[in-house]
Amino acid sequence: MLFTGSGKRKERVGREIEMEKGKVVVEKVRRKSTVTRSFSKYPLKFIIPRKAGPSKTDAVWIYSLTYGGGIVSGDSISVEFTIGDGCTAVLTTQASTKVYKSLGSKCSEQVLEARIGSGALFAVIPDPVTCFATARYSQKQVFRLVSDSSLVVVDWCTSGRHESGEKWDFELYRSTNNIFAEDNQPVFLDTVLLEQSSPASIAERMHDYQVIAMVIIYGPKLKIVQDQVQENVKRMMSQQLHIPSTSLGHHAKTSSHNCLTRPAFIASCSVFGPKGIGVVVRIASTTTESVYRFLQHQLAGMEPLLGVSPYC
Amino acid sequence: MEQDLVQTDKIRKGDSILQWSQWQLLDSILPTGGFAHSFGLEAAIQARIVSGPDNLKNFIIHLLENTGSLLLPFVYSTTTNPTLENWQKLDTILDAILTNEVGRKASVSQGSSLMRVAASVFTEVPSLKSMRDVSIGSGVVSFHHAPVFGLISGLLGMDSGTSQRAYMFMTMRDVISAATRLNLVGPLGAAVLQHQIAPVAEAMSKKWMDRPVEDACQTVPLFDTIQGCHGYLFSRLFCS
Repeated sequence: MLFTGSGKRKERVGREIEMEKGKVVVEKVRRKSTVTRSFSKYPLKFIIPRKAGPSKTDAVWIYSLTYGGGIVSGDSISVEFTIGDGCTAVLTTQASTKVYKSLGSKCSEQVLEARIGSGALFAVIPDPVTCFATARYSQKQVFRLVSDSSLVVVDWCTSGRHESGEKWDFELYRSTNNIFAEDNQPVFLDTVLLEQSSPASIAERMHDYQVIAMVIIYGPKLKIVQDQVQENVKRMMSQQLHIPSTSLGHHAKTSSHNCLTRPAFIASCSVFGPKGIGVVVRIASTTTESVYRFLQHQLAGMEPLLGVSPYC
Repeated sequence: MEQDLVQTDKIRKGDSILQWSQWQLLDSILPTGGFAHSFGLEAAIQARIVSGPDNLKNFIIHLLENTGSLLLPFVYSTTTNPTLENWQKLDTILDAILTNEVGRKASVSQGSSLMRVAASVFTEVPSLKSMRDVSIGSGVVSFHHAPVFGLISGLLGMDSGTSQRAYMFMTMRDVISAATRLNLVGPLGAAVLQHQIAPVAEAMSKKWMDRPVEDACQTVPLFDTIQGCHGYLFSRLFCS
């Protein structure tokens, strides 16, 4: 019998993979956002602390965790969230999601589907996904909104255990984030696929960056946060980008010299959706810590909505 | 029997005329404004991701890979099914996929120009003009480049393998042309480079060819981050 990296969970074979369905419903109970249903199936578990922030803010915090501290080859986790009208909910983790080595060609997957009601806010602010060497991981998040829902999604992935020399050594990482408005109208469709089999390895395509991150900020409740992030990123990047004196002349210096001057952190913002209701920030960074710092600063404006500032 | 032969002959004649149109569609003098775009190369230079001919080659290969995985499904679908309905549907989907504003605007401006040029040039296909006319006032079509190119290719009788390969070819041609204007390579060096990359481009075309739009994905996410920075550049030659 095969045992997995965590040593506890039995390897599931071939067709026996079943969807581990979880379900969380947040509704207003006595005018407060309340988890009215919470169900999860092994290996997933939700922890819902009674009090996450000051009592005057109306928000529930939901911590998602997996037994064994990560995702094992062949795991298939599926969760459904319903955030009722006017409610605020935060979904987060306590540490990075580790995806352990894959056994054979098996892919682990996580699926999240969320409905966000009118005037509601859903913030998905996890720690990054870290895929170990040879891991195969696929993640899909689908958000269904109405015209005045608000949403924050942070989706990020590191190169692996890069301190111990594993840099972009996993086999496959796929992450899909889709947002649909009423009538199934697509607003934001994004899939990133990093697969080792291309003509260029993943590491080559990443140019020494160790983290890629995407932050989606959507909806009327987050207008101020959106404006601030756009302004900050523009200021930050305008200082970093300039015409290198070497590239426009014919006397280019060695490429190692140019590597030294490459920005350690790159970010850019784009507006999307009808009437520019959404902002997406894309980030590439050489360290995980600098992305944490960026998220802390840029999302600090959400504190009044969530009770606690994200990533603090 | 004889009737059939006459018919085949007519189709052949039609085919050979269409070939002139197909070549014109790929010609770089077709005024679609491709010269105004660097596909993120200018931002990549200023971010010191590209600094010379060596990493220019890698940049182009990565760009072609991303183009294949993200846009070929749209070229494929509209070439094989060049109807108003399918084209409009794919245009809406691609508008939601191109979340990077710089890339999205570049796609819209090139696609709109290509559709305008095609409608007035390829008069042997009257549906091009009528499709453009219906869509232009409707507000539901953004005129993204890949589906417009596939639609025109399909209506000009190009097979889908050729149109997908041609799309990769044009992307490579335009980025190399931008590289010469950014002084990264000289004109002869550019021609040599284009020829060197061709086998890689062919391999990537094969890899990403004939896929459904549901499979469209970014395989080089760093590019979206870098291209998105184009608007932050203090001085710039290109629109994207």
